[in-house]
This record gives sequence, structure tokens and C-alpha cells, in this order.
Amino acid sequence: MSNIAGKAYAMNVVTPIKWYRAWINRLIFWAGGLPFFSSHLKGLTTLSLIHYARWALVSPRQFPRLDESQPKETIKYTYMFFFSNFNGSWNQYVDSFHMAIPAGLDLFWHKNIKYPNSIPLQPFHSYINHNQIWTNHYYNAYPLATSNDIKAAIAVKKKLKKFIELNNFDSPELFQKEYNKLLNDVQEHLNLMEPTPIVSLSAEAVEKRRTADHHRFRNRAASSS
Amino acid sequence: MGNISKNAYGMTLLCPIRQDDAAHSYSNLTRDCLETLPLHDNSPMAKVPNTYLCRLYVLDDVFYQGAPANEEHLKSKYLVFCTNFHGDRDTYLRGMWNAVQEDVKRIWGYCIAFDKVKTAGDFVAYAKQCQVTNSLFFNGSDGGPLDEQLKALYLRQEFTRFAFDNFGKSAVELQQAFREFVAIVQPDNLQTPTWAPGMTQETQQLQYSFHTAARKEEYA
Repeated sequence: MSNIAGKAYAMNVVTPIKWYRAWINRLIFWAGGLPFFSSHLKGLTTLSLIHYARWALVSPRQFPRLDESQPKETIKYTYMFFFSNFNGSWNQYVDSFHMAIPAGLDLFWHKNIKYPNSIPLQPFHSYINHNQIWTNHYYNAYPLATSNDIKAAIAVKKKLKKFIELNNFDSPELFQKEYNKLLNDVQEHLNLMEPTPIVSLSAEAVEKRRTADHHRFRNRAASSS
Repeated sequence: MGNISKNAYGMTLLCPIRQDDAAHSYSNLTRDCLETLPLHDNSPMAKVPNTYLCRLYVLDDVFYQGAPANEEHLKSKYLVFCTNFHGDRDTYLRGMWNAVQEDVKRIWGYCIAFDKVKTAGDFVAYAKQCQVTNSLFFNGSDGGPLDEQLKALYLRQEFTRFAFDNFGKSAVELQQAFREFVAIVQPDNLQTPTWAPGMTQETQQLQYSFHTAARKEEYA
């Protein structure tokens, strides 16, 4: 069980909301997707530690029922599923959200049952803790990279390729001049990515144990075959 | 639409798990399966084309918020699959089935109606039945193809090394070094050299300076 994969943390939060109020939340999310209102989500962009995040409102009849043998759900509340992939620790993330977009949070969790508002911080922490579910398997295609690393890498790649295309490298002096311009242009995006900093020591310990278990299992399977 | 942002798709599936019987807890069996999946580049999801980040967990029940809220419980347990990927849903699901069919069968093996899934087309149809629509999907990246992103990460890492290694060199040396750098990193080649999906550490062979050092030894 781990919410951590490399530099990413997976948060899952499930919270109830009265069914007759859920349409207001749907309207808020719908408006949040419109260009005019998306400026109100600017805080999310400012929180550049987020890879991807989503909210899904699921009413009782929207819980999938695939077979007659599956009992019908009898719940009354609509449930809001929140999923986030972010860089850093749980505290850093929740605190950043609380500080950068408190009003946005209060809109997204508008009238959720017992939602305490994002300010003050401690009741908000308790609310998220109470409603969080642990991930059983988490996969990240780039454990070494943060969301900012990916954006920076895309910018470097674009400029580097353009530099290679535009320069025929005839004169070393001209090349050096253009190279220095390129370096000046991309220097804010350059950085060496390392497995550190780790998000949590306990997550690292769990990972080491699991890797050892995996090797032991494979060795046992090989020796018994 | 809440499932798409730029070129990224956010798919959320709630897959009902079979009811426990006297001998088996199918939700626990599903959880055990998830807990023992290999991690990172050994995860089956590393083989699924264009997967950025994804997670799986078992939803046992909903949480009671305390009085005066109503206490209520789910009748079924659900396997929740939340994945972020590049491209369209059906192509992704077909790619997933074709890449890791055996793992998919193991993971979803205790889910209701999954026994009817025999082909990639069946898997797409099954996933559609389990999908819930996102109300809002936030994409903090560019949503480009994964191989482009991994190549970009590789290039940025090696260009950072290049900039440090060649600081203060003469124009002639710098130009020669850059020519070698471009020949080694092959910026237009998305297949190689590049970072592998789920990679947790760089091998020496991926580092451009390893190759230039080897060449120098060869010429010496």
C-alpha cells in the first residue's frame, strides 16, 4: 500500500453531499471549465506541483450496476471523488492549497457534508484525513521528475531542437555566440534530476522491503522450477 | 468535457467487485493482487502505452461524517481505477489489453461481469459501463505523447550535463563537443536513447558523458 511513486503522491478523497445540492456543485465545476471562469482556477496553475487532478460527482444511480445479481445501491447522498497527483508531502500539498486558493477550495467542496471550509487549517486537515483512502497500487511514468521538470524539459527540447535546426555550425565563433544565447535562454529550465529528495522515509523503507520480497519470491520460484 | 484537458484524458472507473461468499472475500483478494504488483518500471502499467500516472484502490465503503449526517453504506465494494494518459479512451484501453492482458485479467478477475471480457473490444465495452464522468479535470502538463515527454526529460538531463562539462571551453572545442553530443543524444529519435517509463534511476549508458569518455579511451 503506497500513495507515493517517486516524487508523486496520490491523494484520494471521497466526500458526501446532499443530492439536491449536488447540481450546484456540478454547475460550479462546469463554469470552472469555461474560459471566462478558468481564470479563477489560476491558483491551480500557480500550484505547479500538481501533475493531474480531478473531481467526479457520482449520484447513487451513477454507481455502476453491471448485473442483476449485484444489489442496488441504497445510499442517499451524492459522493464527490477527488483524485490528485502532486509533488511533495501531504502537508505541503494541503497547506499550499489552503494558502493559495482557499476560496476555490470552498467552491469545489461547496456544501459537502461537514466540510469545515479551508480556513482555519486544522479542521480542514482533519476533514481531508477523515475522508482519504489509501492507494493500493500507484504507477508514475516519471518517478525522477516533478511536474515542473516535465514542463521545463519540454521547453528545453523545443529550444534545443530549434537551435540545432537553425545553426549549420560553419564558424566555431558564430556557433559559440549562438550557443551562449541558447544557454542564456534555457538556463532557468536546466537542472539535474536525481532520485532525491524522497517524499517520505517510511515510503522508502516500504519500497526497499517490497523490492527485497520481490527478489526473494523470484529466487524461490526459480529454484523450485 | 471533464474527461479531457489539452491532449490528456482522465479516465475514472468504478468496477463493482463480486459479493463475498462463505469462503472468499473478493475485495481482499483484489486488494492482495494490487498490493503485490511490481512497482515502477516493473509495474504492468509501465507497458501500457501513453500512461502518465495511474492508481488502483479498493473502495470498501463510504465514510460516516458523524451526527447529524445520515449513516449509510455501499452495497458493493468497488475497484477504483484512475488513470491519466495521452490520446483517446478506446485506443488506450485496446493498447492496455494488448500490452498486459494477463495482468488485466488478474486485477479485474474478481469484478462483476468481467468473466465476459474475452477480447480488447469486450474490455473497452466493460470499461465504458464502469466509467464515471469527471466534473473537472485539471492537467498541469502539456498532454503530449509520453515518448515525447520522456525524450524531453532525457534531453534536458543530458543538456544540463553538457552545459556543466563544457563550461569555459574554446569555440572550436565547444563546437566539436556539441557535434558529439547531438550524435549521441539523437534529439529526433524517440525510441533511443531515452528514459524508460517508470524508470527510478539512470543507467550509465544513458549519460552522454559516459559515451564521450568511452570514445576518448578508444582514440587514446
